[in-house]
Amino acid sequence: MGSQIKYFVISLLLIVVQSQAMKLLSLEGITPDILTIWIVYIALQQGQIGGTLWGFVIGLFFDLVTGNFIGLAALTKTICGFIAGYFFNENKTAMTISSYRFILIVLIVSLIHNTIYFVVFTRGTDIGFLRAVFEFGMATTLYTATVSLLPMFIFSRKQ
Amino acid sequence: MQRFLHIIVAFKEYFVVTLLIIISLFFISNNDNTQVRTIRSYTVGILGFIQDGLSGIPNVVGLKRENEILRKLNVNLSAEVSRLREARLENLRLHEMLGMKNRGEFSLLAAEVVGKSLHLLRNTVTLNVGEDDGIKSDMPIVSELGLVGKVIATSSHYAIGQLIINKDFRTSAKVQRSRVDGIIAWDGGDFLQLKNVSKKQDIKEGDIVITSEYSRIIPRGIKIGIVTKVIENPGKLFKDIELVPSVDFSSLEQVFIITVLPDSERTALEAKITHTNNGKSN
Repeated sequence: MGSQIKYFVISLLLIVVQSQAMKLLSLEGITPDILTIWIVYIALQQGQIGGTLWGFVIGLFFDLVTGNFIGLAALTKTICGFIAGYFFNENKTAMTISSYRFILIVLIVSLIHNTIYFVVFTRGTDIGFLRAVFEFGMATTLYTATVSLLPMFIFSRKQ
Repeated sequence: MQRFLHIIVAFKEYFVVTLLIIISLFFISNNDNTQVRTIRSYTVGILGFIQDGLSGIPNVVGLKRENEILRKLNVNLSAEVSRLREARLENLRLHEMLGMKNRGEFSLLAAEVVGKSLHLLRNTVTLNVGEDDGIKSDMPIVSELGLVGKVIATSSHYAIGQLIINKDFRTSAKVQRSRVDGIIAWDGGDFLQLKNVSKKQDIKEGDIVITSEYSRIIPRGIKIGIVTKVIENPGKLFKDIELVPSVDFSSLEQVFIITVLPDSERTALEAKITHTNNGKSN
């Protein structure tokens, strides 16, 4: 129960940071998705159901905070938590989070997440499928994976 | 029943993810219904309260820069006010001579930007005024530099403004010099687009683009931006026109909401005509 409250508080904090402060790290309009990193972390700690449920809750709150396209982030982050849950191994959690395996998981999960997100998000605009996937999806994925080095190093030092 | 429960337990992960995907899709397909709007309104209120608290932290560097910009702007505006006064007097005289209807002046309500969500293509701002101040959805938002956007959601004390640099924002516009009409849109990037301008129309780099009288919600004559590029594509009917917005959204801190709602008489008349035309065509 205690860990769930902790997840809830940190999730709220990260949603505010993602929606309000990430623009400071924006490169050509691309921002890292720290919520995806956080959902991967939760899924590696809690397993597939925990990751999926938290993905949905975090995504829905993010949709409400940004005030746009309610349900899209909920959908993509649910899928994100579900996929990240495949990498859950109760005996190797700490090892996974503090190794380059964590970056790889973030990269895979983020790629799937961003592909779905941007393809739906850019419908109704002049931005085509390939531009949505490669320019926005891939760039955000690489940026997110790069930022996930930070928690990985923090956890590897803790170990 | 027992067997069914066994199946659910065995595949619980898949049931959970399927259920949550269905709920998400339900939200996506019901984006504008009342329940979702109510939830959004509460969230806007809570987030606005947090952002309002955070905005109290002073930014010394920002203030100094803003001060300098405002001083320069003040000098330019003083000169412009004097010129406009002359023009207004002349305009009044001509109006009287021609017996034209007065366009009226805007009723403005000042608001502070307490939060920005510059999230790629759907950019919004949170303002510290809401329904209790008489703010309603669709009211236009402006700054001293020009058009900022329009209100899309409100709670009691806060409002969410959709910026013109938002892919869902559209408004009719006009080139001030040649009176050419077009539609303002934004597809990402640093520039706005002026769409539906045919190749025959007179438009040049440096032209000022303003809001036109065709919009039901945004008053005419508000500056939107300056044309920076005009491209004529051989295979297309329309020109590709880029303009730089007159408002710098990265440093947007104070705005004004024009507290007018669409002219109900005009809307009703236009709806009536559209309905009649549809009836005839059917």
